[in-house]
Parts: sequence; structure tokens; C-alpha cells
Amino acid sequence: MKNFIAWFDDRLPVFTVLKHATTEYPTPKNLNYWWNFGSLALVCLVVQILTGLFLTMHYKPDAHLAFDSIQHIMRDVEWGWLLRYTHMVGAHFFFIVVYIHIFRGLYFGSYKQPREVLWGLGVIILFLMIITAFMGYVLPWGQMSYWGATVITNLLSVIPFVGNNVVVWLWGGYSVGDPTLNRFFALHFLMPFVIFAVVFLHLWALHHKKSNNPLGIDLKKQTDYVPFHPYYTIKDTFGLGVYLMFFLGMVFYAPNILGHTDNYIPANPMVTPAHIVPEWYFLPFYAILRAIPNKLLGVVAMVAAILILFALPWLDKSKVRAATFRPIYKQVYWIFFANCFVLGWVGANPPEGIYVLIGQVSTAIYFAFFMLLPIISRFEKTKPVPTSL
Amino acid sequence: MKKTLLPLIALVVLVTSVANTPIANAAGNAVTPPELEWSFRSSTPEWDVEQLFRGYKVATQVCMACHSFKYIKHRDLMKLGFSEEQVNVLADELGLGLDDRLMSSLTEEAALMSYGTVVPDLSLMNLARPHGADYMHGLLVGYEEAPEGFAVPEGKHYNKYFSGHVIAMPKPLTMDGQVEYPEGSDVEPTVDQMAKDVSAFIEWTGEPILVYRKQLGVYVLLYLLIFTILSYMLMKAIWADVKKKKI
Repeated sequence: MKNFIAWFDDRLPVFTVLKHATTEYPTPKNLNYWWNFGSLALVCLVVQILTGLFLTMHYKPDAHLAFDSIQHIMRDVEWGWLLRYTHMVGAHFFFIVVYIHIFRGLYFGSYKQPREVLWGLGVIILFLMIITAFMGYVLPWGQMSYWGATVITNLLSVIPFVGNNVVVWLWGGYSVGDPTLNRFFALHFLMPFVIFAVVFLHLWALHHKKSNNPLGIDLKKQTDYVPFHPYYTIKDTFGLGVYLMFFLGMVFYAPNILGHTDNYIPANPMVTPAHIVPEWYFLPFYAILRAIPNKLLGVVAMVAAILILFALPWLDKSKVRAATFRPIYKQVYWIFFANCFVLGWVGANPPEGIYVLIGQVSTAIYFAFFMLLPIISRFEKTKPVPTSL
Repeated sequence: MKKTLLPLIALVVLVTSVANTPIANAAGNAVTPPELEWSFRSSTPEWDVEQLFRGYKVATQVCMACHSFKYIKHRDLMKLGFSEEQVNVLADELGLGLDDRLMSSLTEEAALMSYGTVVPDLSLMNLARPHGADYMHGLLVGYEEAPEGFAVPEGKHYNKYFSGHVIAMPKPLTMDGQVEYPEGSDVEPTVDQMAKDVSAFIEWTGEPILVYRKQLGVYVLLYLLIFTILSYMLMKAIWADVKKKKI
């Protein structure tokens, strides 16, 4: 056996690469539990792909059959209800995990030099996830699926000159309908594999520049590191156990609590729901979209809210990474963090009365964070940073 | 560990509360229905089969005059413990076979003629409304005189718990004893009781695996608890040498 492994490895170095990425991969030994969320996000992706694969074997992407086929999965398919609830709740938890992962990066300065590309790939993953989740939500063909799809696809009509043509092309008709559902299904199946490919690049970039750490300093001594396996494989396993208790707790006890009740009403193009609200993970962006009275500018602002994350490594000029040693950034960070929840809350409410004003103020705060960073990072007096662990 | 978990829990709670806001909004100006006790919501969740059977009676004798339960067949009742003979007798009384879906004989056109609206299928109704069974019960007992100055259009009705208060459906449960309850029932078929029973039945039609799911969840979480404790201990053991050398 040993000879065979050596023989095979000489021809295709699978074992060498594996060893390099596990028992030989140096990981900072001071990582805290917030660093668990990266590997958790990978688990989420795998769970979504596996449950999704089995769901496709029973789901029918047809406007007349889709809604009923979900109930077929819930009632007639062996363990179908568990597959569907795991996939559904899994989408929510994927976003919870990824948002925590992003906020961790923001707090400890993981986006800074030399990890700008790692960060940028992460933003691409977030963007792809948003598209994938949006298309997935359309598939059950409930009222919120249909009307959410109508509202969001309509946003593309703001593209100058060709907007309306693009929307018709995307719909495959003159409204959201059977062709739309069919292609969204095809794309919803494809996208996770695209995400997987970008995740691979994300990990490649990570392994090339190594993990950041809670002190945000460059670790030079070899004793500051421990091999990824077994130290972080076991820590990630423990984290996974805690995570699964939250996740499966919701799957088994409150699978529908994060969803909208209207999506248990079959899609009906003749009846518009009282309030069309996207899933919670889109609400902050939805609030930004509606904060601006002009539709074109609203869409631009919403897209910019994500794209601006790409520029973060260059907007923040501070040499110090971790917020722990940056008194002003730390405060600004928590304001930004809380502001995202305010945006989410505004996005969940109808755009009228006081919500309009709050939405506009919190949208301004969102962008002000990025605009002020170059100034803050230049004048901020940082605390002394340790040189080693 | 504690320092990390607390904000995490806070986050989950925060996200859940934010995510729940639209659900409250979707109900529009409807009144929140009173929260009742349900066997499937208790700490030891189970189906009250007698209640479901009474609810089945109300559903088939009252609701099905207009509404269907298209995801339910008589055979499904066997999963609640009824024998094939018993279920056959029930299906027979309605002129249905074991595998026929519970469809109302009211056609869409006839419904449009009589009520000016399509009649929704009831199978998923508790899932499709905020507050589920509580709402269903509230709706069925929520018919009352419209408050002064509230104009109810011709042929429509006022309901306290319905979104917008104007409902096309006439009061379906009109008097005590409307449905004959099985012999030996320990409750009387009052309007309130019938409303409760049929609401429980609709909870079951919405998600027949609801109780099984909750019962199974206990074992899943117990397993995970043991798994997590063991992996925590293993983690401490593996990290022991690193911690000792810590500067």
C-alpha cells in the first residue's frame, strides 16, 4: 500500500498536496472562534449542493406543476420534508454564516494587504450567492416567489436604452412566467458550482498568504503557528457541532419562521400581495434601493453597496489591521454594523412615513462609512501593536 | 467561549426578529388572534387524534361544501392510526375512494357566480397565514357586526381577524351542534369547539409530518449535544500542549 501511494503520488501528487494543505499548513495559533465561520460556510455550500441535488430529482420546474411538486416532496418522497427544510433553512443559515464571516474580516482587517485578492474573491462569492438565493426562492412558485421575481427582474429595466429588452429577454416573455421559472431552475442548478470554483480560488489565495489573526499582525516566528490538522480540524469540528444545534434546531422546530407565509399561496399573477418583501438577507440592500426616489439611482446605489466592498482594501489606508488597536475605526465599525440592522428593519417595512427618512439616513451612513475611511485611517492614532504573540 | 457565543445568540435573535417584521406587516390591519393551546405545539408535541377526527367531520361536512383539501386523501388518515376498514367507511360516506383527493364539488365558475371570488384550497391555509391555527380559529369565530361607520360591501361580511375585515366567505360555523360529533366525544360541538377542531385538522393537512418532525428533533439534538461535548473534550486534549507552551 505504501509503495502504491508513493508510486501514485509521484505521478499525481494528490497526497503531497493534501499533506501540504493539512498537517503541513501553518495556521496562526491565536485564532478565535470567529475564524470558525469560514469553514462553516464551506459546509453550508456542500449541504446546499447535496440537498439541492436530491430535491431536483423530485421537483418540477413548470409553472403548473412546481408548487404541487413541493408538496409532493413534503408528503410522498421518503425524507423529502427533511431535504426541503434543510435546503430552505440552509439558505438562511448560509447567509448568517457568511455575513458573520464578512463582519469578522471587517473587524480584524482581513481585507488589508496582502489579502486584497482573497477579500475580492469573497465579495464575488457573496454576489453569486445573492443571485443564486434569489433564483432559488422563485422555484417554489408561491406568491412571494412570483412577485419577488417580478419586482427584482424589473430593476434591470433601468439599464439605459436596452433595459426593457433585457428584461423581456430574461423573462422569456412579457412577464414572469413558465419560461422564467424554467431558466431560473437551470441557473439555480448551475450557480453553486460556479460558487464552488470561486471558493476554490478563495482558498487558494488564503493558503498562499495564510490566515489573518485576531491581532492582525504578520506572524514571523514558526512557533506562532500550528498545523491546520489536527488543531483546526478539531476546533472546526467542535464549531460545527454547535452550529448544527442551531441549524437543525431550526430545521426541526421552526423551519418556516424565517420564511414568508405568503409563499404557501400558489403564484397568482392576478393578485398582488399587500407587501412584497424579499427574504431577510436582502433587506438591507432592498432598503438602500428604496431610499432613493429615482429608480435608476436606487438600483445604482444598491449595486454600489456591494461593489464598494471591492474597494475597501484601498479605502482603508491604516497600516494596523485589527480594530482592537484602532479606537476610531472600532467605533465606526460598530456604527456600521448596527446600521446594517437598521437598514434591514427599514427594508422589512413599507416605504412610507418615518421609514423613508430612516432609510435615507441609514443609507447615507452605509456609504459614509466607506467615504470616511480614507480620512479616518489617515488621522487615527492607533494603539501600540504587539510584534509577536 | 462564552464571550463568543453570547453575541452569536444575540445575532440570531436579532436576525429572527428583523425577519419576522414583514410577517406582522402582511397581516395588514387585521387583529392578532388570541393564542390557544394546541397539542402539536406543546412541549410534548402530538396529534390529538380525536380532535383531528372531529375536525375532519367539520371539514368534510362544512368546509368542503366550497373548499377542497387537494393534498389530502383518505388513505392519509391511516397514518394517524385509523385502520383501512375505518377509513374505507369514511371515504364511502362521501362517495370517495381511498386515494381520491378531498375535492369540493363546487366548481370555480360556480364560486365566482356565488361569491365573486375563487375559493382557496385549505390544505396549506395554516402555513399561508401568520399565526396559523390561532388565526384559523380566530377567523371562524371572528364574524361580528361591523363597527359603526365601517361600510361592508353588498354580499360581503365583516370579520375581526381577516386582513381588511371584509371577507367574501359567509360565516361557515353558524350554530352549536351544526356538526354531529362522534359518540363518546368528551366535548360538545359548540361553534368555538368546532372552530378549534377544524383548525387543528387544517394544521395536520398543512404538514402531516409536523409532529414526527418535532419528536425526531429531540433525538437529533441529543445526538448533536453528545457529539459537541465529545469534540470539545477532544479539542481540549489536542490543544493542551500548545496552551502549556503559551507565552
